[in-house]
Amino acid sequence: MKQLKKNIRQVGICLCALFVLLAGYGAYNMIVNGNRWFSSSVNTFARQQKKNVIAGDVLDRGGVLLATTVEGKREYAADEATRKAVVHVVGDSDANVNNGVESFMASYLYGFNMGFGERLSSVFRGDSRMGDTVQLTIDSRLSAYIAGIFPAGKAGAVVVMNYKTGEVLSSQSFPNFDPMNITYAVKNDPQKPFYNRAVQGLYTPGSTFKIVTAASALQNMQDVQSRAFQCTGIREYGPRIITDAGTDLESGKITQHGQLTLLRAFQVSCNNTFAGLATELGDEKLKKTAEAFGFNDNFLFRDLVVENSSYPTSNRNEGEIAWTGAGQSALTASPLHMCMIAASVANDGVMMEPRLLLSATSSQGTLRTEFAPKVYRTVMTESQAAVLQEYMRAVVTGGTGTAANISGVRVCGKTGSAEVDTQEETNAWFLGYLDEEESPYALAIVVEEGGGGGSVAAPAAKKIFQWMLENGYAD
Amino acid sequence: MSKEKTPRRKKDPARALMGPIMLFYFLAFFLLGMKGGNWESFLLSFAVPAMIYIGTFGISRLFPADKLLLSLTNFLCALGVLILYRFSPQRGLTQAVNYGVGVGCMILCAYVVRYMPGWKWSTVLMMGGSLLLLLLPLAIGTEKNGAQSWITVGSTSVQPSEIVKLALMLCLAYLLSQRRVVLSVGFAGACLLILMLQKDLGTALLYYGVTLVLLYASTGSLSLVGVGIAGGAGAAILGYQMFAHVKRRVAIWLDPWADVRNAGYQIVQGLIAMVNGGTWGVGLGLGNASVIPEYYNDFIFMTILNEFGVIFGLIVLCMFLFIIIRGIMIANRSRTVFHALLATACSALLALQTFVIIGGNIKLIPLTGVTLPFISYGGTSLVSSLCIIGFLQGIASRNEAGVHADRALASLGGELP
Repeated sequence: MKQLKKNIRQVGICLCALFVLLAGYGAYNMIVNGNRWFSSSVNTFARQQKKNVIAGDVLDRGGVLLATTVEGKREYAADEATRKAVVHVVGDSDANVNNGVESFMASYLYGFNMGFGERLSSVFRGDSRMGDTVQLTIDSRLSAYIAGIFPAGKAGAVVVMNYKTGEVLSSQSFPNFDPMNITYAVKNDPQKPFYNRAVQGLYTPGSTFKIVTAASALQNMQDVQSRAFQCTGIREYGPRIITDAGTDLESGKITQHGQLTLLRAFQVSCNNTFAGLATELGDEKLKKTAEAFGFNDNFLFRDLVVENSSYPTSNRNEGEIAWTGAGQSALTASPLHMCMIAASVANDGVMMEPRLLLSATSSQGTLRTEFAPKVYRTVMTESQAAVLQEYMRAVVTGGTGTAANISGVRVCGKTGSAEVDTQEETNAWFLGYLDEEESPYALAIVVEEGGGGGSVAAPAAKKIFQWMLENGYAD
Repeated sequence: MSKEKTPRRKKDPARALMGPIMLFYFLAFFLLGMKGGNWESFLLSFAVPAMIYIGTFGISRLFPADKLLLSLTNFLCALGVLILYRFSPQRGLTQAVNYGVGVGCMILCAYVVRYMPGWKWSTVLMMGGSLLLLLLPLAIGTEKNGAQSWITVGSTSVQPSEIVKLALMLCLAYLLSQRRVVLSVGFAGACLLILMLQKDLGTALLYYGVTLVLLYASTGSLSLVGVGIAGGAGAAILGYQMFAHVKRRVAIWLDPWADVRNAGYQIVQGLIAMVNGGTWGVGLGLGNASVIPEYYNDFIFMTILNEFGVIFGLIVLCMFLFIIIRGIMIANRSRTVFHALLATACSALLALQTFVIIGGNIKLIPLTGVTLPFISYGGTSLVSSLCIIGFLQGIASRNEAGVHADRALASLGGELP
């Protein structure tokens, strides 16, 4: 009998544990996924409720009005250029853009997270409910400038963020559109203007991924910085042949870098060396580093819905692994994630969570929530980051990225010209940042079918950085 | 008469709870009346609290019942009536009638457990009857939600597995108290097999869980439980391979968002109802949880979360937890192995059933169609849940009687056992 009662007590404890599991999992889900589920397009309740609420305003970080409600109708920024430049971040009233602020921050804009007392008092006052005013980290002037200098007619994306805090200053997708004048042509544009390439676009990162390969080599190979590599121009792995930019096998023209160090290989973006590094590291180690940088992770950022980046897991033969080291194979990443990678190098190995929300204020003027930086994860050690900082600086001073150089300013970066099977031209990439204490800004640019990263994306980066330094971002 | 002082009465938790519970239902039905403007709701705002009061303190006059257990049960049952009434007065009133029938059955069960002299022959009868009852739906049953577990008698449909559930607990408790381990495993296995054939996997899971719990409680043998878990895992894999609808449910569980408009619709809408409710809920009568197809049955907990919020949902969970802890306490005070095992089975069944359905709702485990005890719409389920409480009450009253007998013995100079 005594034994029996002991057993029964143990059973009781197990049953209680089931309930703790229920409550814990439910609470976890509410906190992590609550907003994602709430702003889902199948939430009919939110759609109904929106009719009874006057939606709040959306402001940029300087207080410029980006969206407001006038007589029950949603209106966007007064200036057309600004409207177009921020449309993918802000969204539109018909939710053509997925997960724009208009839908993803509906809980604030439509006042769904009002407290108990607040709701009661609004019932007693009898006036219609007013949503919160949301201030974004976005700079609309910077965004309009970027939209102006982006190669005309090209598709692509630009992301600018503060690498110390994670504030996203600009996130743009091209082509963009005017939310107050959605024409038939816009809806049927084959370049799909509604698509937010900055966070949804999954691109092959190309040579910009060499940052990750180099980080993996620094972590796993003791002598890698002092080693001499030999670039013969061609590496064969069965049917897969690794070549460098400029090589044309048919005419027999072959780019060869000869003997070089890791620094030099990074500077000139030598595929041969990085392919060799990848096979030497092996798939496991390279994958581990890539996953530390956020590949294959389910991004659950509070303010942004970012498509997951992926490190390939199937069809891993030697040739594929080699190409992965040079950023090709089946690797994919969004421009925002690549910007975070550049930012993590700049921020001494600490990757910040990208944020879009600066503050939310209720219609009564009380502060609902305010921006506070949060670390997403630490992706490498400070000393490894320092080496990569030196490499990325070298790319701009004497490598593929010299077009981004600004005299007197420490611009660092990495170019990429990613090959896509279905495209004639490569996608032009540039990841870069300012290594200046007062101007901690990183950016990522991708121009679809733009050609070389060094010749197309790097000059654009230079212009953006220059504009920022001249317009109050130097202090 | 002895001049022995009566011991100072401890504050009765059931009495302390009764005030807030009655106030809650008064306000809830009153608000519904204000909103809908029908006299029936105003009537109910007095009738329901009165019913709860009588259901708690009236019943405890019949036999020494556990009042705390009664008041918690009444709260949960009335919550079901309230939620159902808010969406459809017809369903609410039907549930109230079910509730009345259930209370009658509860008293009956309590009396049976309290006064039954021996369980040997009734166990044999119940074992045979259970298997026959379970086989019935396969012969003359109708299919609902992919499981063939209902039989229709006249205009009402009954789920035999809900009734057999009670018999299973009694039989297993008796057999294991007689150390007939092999026979009890064989009986449970036969029931499980039939349920698998009916494709009623939710109920099968409950039967399996209760059997496992009772095996552990009576033998304390981890190796036996290990074999049981291995067998269960094997059956689960087999079921996954064999039944297409199991595969589909697992796929929906893994990613309900893959097909939000069809396959994943129900779970996704349930989750959305939960987050719409948020911390404090959207308010009674203001939600739209009825977009969930089974909002009144399998997903009623999500409906409650939608209208009353997460804090209230946690309170409801705590009430279930109190009932279960109370059941374990009753088991611990039992005088015989049979009663201890029966009380354990009651607690385990209620706990598992609550876990399986709420876990399915919040996407912790794949969704299987079982009801939320006391709250979900449905006669058989409500009655069988109340019968389980009846068992617990019967055992509690026996314990109480035992304590009295001991006291009497002690006052005569006897020794306490």
